[in-house]
Amino acid sequence: MSFRETSAWITLTSVLLCFGVYFGSLATGHVRAPSFVTLHLLLLCVSALVVLQIGLHAVAACFAPRAARALRDEREQLIQMRARGLGYYVLMAGVLALAIPGHMEGSKIDLMNFALLDVVVASLVVSAAQIVMFRRGV
Amino acid sequence: MPRPPIANQIRRLRFEHGEMTQSELAERIGMTRQTVAAIEAGKYSPSLEAAFRISRVFGAALEDVFQWTEAG
Repeated sequence: MSFRETSAWITLTSVLLCFGVYFGSLATGHVRAPSFVTLHLLLLCVSALVVLQIGLHAVAACFAPRAARALRDEREQLIQMRARGLGYYVLMAGVLALAIPGHMEGSKIDLMNFALLDVVVASLVVSAAQIVMFRRGV
Repeated sequence: MPRPPIANQIRRLRFEHGEMTQSELAERIGMTRQTVAAIEAGKYSPSLEAAFRISRVFGAALEDVFQWTEAG
C-alpha cells in the first residue's frame, strides 16, 4: 500500500472515529446541545482528530520516509483531484440542504451541527473515493 | 473502471533491461512504484511526458512501448 493510500485510510478512520463519537453522543442523547458539555466534547473530538492525524501520519512516514517526503506524482494528483471533486458535490448538496433546518424550528446549534456533519461527510467521501481509486484505478 | 485502449510492453522491457524492478523504473521517471504498477497493468494511462520518460529509460520509441488497441 502506498503512503498516499495509507494517508487516506488514516484520514477516513480518524474522522470516522472522532466525529462518530461526537455525533453518536448527540444522536443517542448522551449529551444535549447547546451546553458546555457539547462544546467540550466537540473540542475534545477535534483535538483527538488532530493528534491522531499527526501521530498516525508520523508513524506511516517512519515506515516510508522517502514516499512521505516525495511530491505526489501525476496519478496521485489525478486521484486527489477527482476525489475532491466528488467531495465538493457532497459539500454543496449539504450546504443547500442547510435550508431545511434553517427554515424549521432548529436552533443555531442544530444548524452548526448540520453544517459540521456536511463537512465530515464530504471529508469521508474524499478519503473513501481516494481509496477506491487507488485500488481500482482511475 | 473501464480500461483505457492502450497496451504496453513495460513488463517485457523491464526484464530485457536487466530485470529492472518497478521501483527502479519508478525512481528513474519520478513516480511511485504503485503508479508504475498501475501503468503496467493497464489501469492508468500515463501523460505524454511520463510516456516519453518511460520510453527514454528503455531507449525505445514511444510506439514500441505503448500501442493503441483498436478493440479497446
